[in-house]
Amino acid sequence: MLTLSLILLPIIAGLITLAIKGETAKTVALVFAFAELALGAYLYKSFVPDATSQFGLSYDWIHSAGIKFSVGVDGISLILVFLTTLMVPFIILSTFGNNYKNASNLYALILFMQAALVGVFTAKDVFLFYFFFEAALIPIYFIAAIWGGENRIKVTFKFFVYTIFGSLFMLLALVYLYLLTPGTHSADINAIYEAAKALDLSTQSYLFGAFFIAFAIKMPLFPFHTWQPDTYVEAPTAGTMLLSGIMLKMGVYGLIRFILPIVPLGVDQWGFVAIILSVIGIIYGSVIAIQQKDMKRLIAYSSFAHVGLMSAGIFSRNLEGIQGSLIQMLAHGINVVGLFFIVEIIERRAKSRELSLLGGITQTTPNLTVYFIILMLGSVALPLTNGFVGEFLLLKGVYEYNAWIGAVAGLTIILGAVYMLRMVQKSMFGITSKITEGFTDLTFNEKAVLFPLSFLVIALGIAPNIFLKLTEPAVSQLLSIIK
Amino acid sequence: MNAIIALSLFGISNLFLGFLNNRKILLPATLVFILIALGLNFADWNHEYYWFNNMLKTNNLSVNFVTIILLSTFLVVAISRSFGDDDEHSHPAEYYAILLFSAVGAIMMVTFENLIMLFVGLEILSVSMYVLTGSDKRSLRSNEAALKYFLMGSFATGILLFGVALVYGATSSFDIHGIAQGVAKAKEQMGGAYGPLLYSGVILIMVGLLFKISAAPFHFWTPDVYDGAPSIFTAFMSTVVKTAGVAATYRILSISFPSVYGLWGNPLVYIVCATLIIGNITAVYQQSFKRMLAYSSISHAGYLLITVLAKRPETNSSLLFYSLAYAIATITAFAVLMVVSEAQAKNGKADESFEALNGLANNNPLLAFSLTISMLSLAGIPLTAGFFGKFFVFSDAFSNPSSLFKWILVIAILMSTVGIYYYFKPIIAAYMKKGEVAKIELSPLYKFILILTTTLTILLGLAPDLVKNIF
Amino acid sequence: MNYQPSDFLPILVQLVAALAFIVATMLATHWLGPKRHSVLKDDAFECGIESVGDARTPISVKYFLVAILFVLFDVEIIFMYPWAVNFMGWVKSTSDVAITMFLEMLVFMGLLLLGFIYVIKKGVLTWEK
Repeated sequence: MLTLSLILLPIIAGLITLAIKGETAKTVALVFAFAELALGAYLYKSFVPDATSQFGLSYDWIHSAGIKFSVGVDGISLILVFLTTLMVPFIILSTFGNNYKNASNLYALILFMQAALVGVFTAKDVFLFYFFFEAALIPIYFIAAIWGGENRIKVTFKFFVYTIFGSLFMLLALVYLYLLTPGTHSADINAIYEAAKALDLSTQSYLFGAFFIAFAIKMPLFPFHTWQPDTYVEAPTAGTMLLSGIMLKMGVYGLIRFILPIVPLGVDQWGFVAIILSVIGIIYGSVIAIQQKDMKRLIAYSSFAHVGLMSAGIFSRNLEGIQGSLIQMLAHGINVVGLFFIVEIIERRAKSRELSLLGGITQTTPNLTVYFIILMLGSVALPLTNGFVGEFLLLKGVYEYNAWIGAVAGLTIILGAVYMLRMVQKSMFGITSKITEGFTDLTFNEKAVLFPLSFLVIALGIAPNIFLKLTEPAVSQLLSIIK
Repeated sequence: MNAIIALSLFGISNLFLGFLNNRKILLPATLVFILIALGLNFADWNHEYYWFNNMLKTNNLSVNFVTIILLSTFLVVAISRSFGDDDEHSHPAEYYAILLFSAVGAIMMVTFENLIMLFVGLEILSVSMYVLTGSDKRSLRSNEAALKYFLMGSFATGILLFGVALVYGATSSFDIHGIAQGVAKAKEQMGGAYGPLLYSGVILIMVGLLFKISAAPFHFWTPDVYDGAPSIFTAFMSTVVKTAGVAATYRILSISFPSVYGLWGNPLVYIVCATLIIGNITAVYQQSFKRMLAYSSISHAGYLLITVLAKRPETNSSLLFYSLAYAIATITAFAVLMVVSEAQAKNGKADESFEALNGLANNNPLLAFSLTISMLSLAGIPLTAGFFGKFFVFSDAFSNPSSLFKWILVIAILMSTVGIYYYFKPIIAAYMKKGEVAKIELSPLYKFILILTTTLTILLGLAPDLVKNIF
Repeated sequence: MNYQPSDFLPILVQLVAALAFIVATMLATHWLGPKRHSVLKDDAFECGIESVGDARTPISVKYFLVAILFVLFDVEIIFMYPWAVNFMGWVKSTSDVAITMFLEMLVFMGLLLLGFIYVIKKGVLTWEK
């Protein structure tokens, strides 16, 4: 029941928000988002740290095809559901400074997207997963395409078609597995795990390819990343936060939930290629980020680099790697939402994101500086920040898999420091330029977003175990399935 | 069957109602007639019965198909807006009457037990459509479309008849079950092979029927005819004619010729692939919304033929669901196209290009939203009925153990992705391009139909079991 | 009675013969006839008078309508012939069948009568308009 209400509440909230015109739409949406956060916190508190799937429920959906509406939360889903419910109130709050046309539609779409995302993370029936996976695309497409930047039409369309193309392969793989289940087929994920045990290596390789394409386009991984920088830049900031904060985690979650348990032989065979692609992505993304002049594009490329490390950690298939990716998903979500918000703040005041035109903002904005530095250090993975926990575990996992790859992946920390520190230095320090002269400090709404996020950066860096101990049983069980 | 009799009589009543010089009562009267026919149709539920000396059979399957046909007719009549006010050039009484008569033809095509009935139904449906295609007498495109449709359609019916005659020669029966027995006997006598009479007969029947549902390479008439005909009749053609055609094709292929599957299955594989590829790729290049919808209907015929080719026990159910989803979405799209192209008429001619839709969402949110949902459904995006339609079709094909189907499915999926490109053009034009479409006044009935179809599409996209259980 | 395809050969021969006759005579006249062209000789023949204007004058559609209506009602009459032939047989057997058959024919004629009334009220048959 709790899971169902986590999915239904944003839908109802979205419908109500659609009906409200004018200024109150914002507040209504925010209230509902906080209500959802309260549900998410309750979920976290009442979760029993073992490997079972809890708060589950299952209805017959398409009876003739054996497809059920079946949802449940286990350790792996818990952290992602919590991330979703945590981030959406901040995302909504971050839009308060902007004046959007038809704003109630925007908030409704954000809430619908939240429902779809929670659905993806809690689905225990593979078609329900696919359904929510695709359904999440529709709100984000409209958010980016209606309220986005100048070039949005072509860019968002490329994003939509590219992603759907990938997930159609996943649909084929899922239908194939579904037809392997005995008797009147069932699409329940445990039944699929069972049926997949009997597959031989060549079939598993094909299935690995099909799943991998879908998730590699979603995350993205090199070389399927060409849609990402443009889309992140053209989308409105709320859309970019949804995309990089939560939506790319759908791809990573898919790796953990689908590829590892279903095609272990395929992973044995092709996992090496996947890790190489991930590490190439890390280096490539970081190097390009160093050369960026547009702040938003820089953070987009940094996101691409971080997700490469997450995926490498997963394919290393050890406890540290997967735990690291889970906590890094949460950490990266918090950091990247904060960083994009700061870019938004700078753009609101200075009307530009170009690093060469900015500078010296810190002279008038002590608050902004503090939050920016904290979030930046979290992204750079300084010890005591949440990023450090994630990256350390991930690097340890990858190093255990292969020391050389671990060493190359470790470059991410150095390169990350380069572009992040460069960004902060060029925008915040130095002499003020023409456009940053009259820079005002943060408003209350902006502080209300940045303070909790920065607090979480430090808090999770000091006490990551509040999450790690919850996810560990489920991850161990997953690994035991694979071995 | 009572539906056939009722609809024929109601058609005649429409003709006489036209003498009352009151245009306003024709549309409500026709809607009432269709509802009565629907009611008579439901009375046949769970009641299998043969009519006219075993020429027609009504059973649950036919009740379902007839429901879809009559529902589509209802929606088309509801958005017809009494064909305007022009007393001299449009004759609504006659148009409604002919629509009802063609519905009769369609019903005969889905309930036939005897090939003669198939021919009669097909001809009633087709000739009515020839007339309606050319009903806009002042437009050159309409006249051209009618002539093309008539010439090519008659030729196709001739081919169908020739095939029927050859099959009769091979199996000495017109009744579809009798043909099945005859085929079995002929195979026995020839030791597993089939003679040239049967071979050519089956192929010719298939060709004649495939023409009507515009499968490639028999699709060349479709774009010009759909484009030239008045939009309201194009909506009827692309939904009712296609549903009836596919139902008839599957009926005859699965009841009479299942034992010679290799004979018609092999060419059908190539036809399906060609239909999917030609339909989708040519649609990408269209500048006109109406023409794009015509090419997209060709591609949907391709998807429907995939499940016909798969010949599973669930095929009828998948055909029903897909036809329902496709009919609702197409009628919505045409409904929006009709009002917008009239409002954006340039130099007195309706503007049917994508540019006419620019900026639709600014002043007409209901029209834009219905258009979006119908385009998403046609593209097969989850959350809409079209997704489940495609899903059932694909899983039917996947269930068939032959490995050929995997390749057909790959082509189908690739073409679906291509389809997304052109189905998004109207959505992008409506929401994201800059343009001005004045606020279009819609009658309450029109708004009701738009809301009804959009709700149905989303509802069936969330809970397809609502109708799948019945099918 | 098993008919082989080869039994139908005479039909093909007849078809070929007919076609051949036409083609042969056309070719023969083309080749055997004199070839003298002049402006007056190549003009269209209209009973010796000079032809004026385009041959494509529009013909009023009422001719077509009358012809089509004739065909329709003529076919109705044709359908009555076999019915009439069998009617005696039905009358001589059990009487129920006879009444049913009569009513069926009445329905058939009734529907066509409705069509006729429609045609009259539409004014198709009034010639002067």
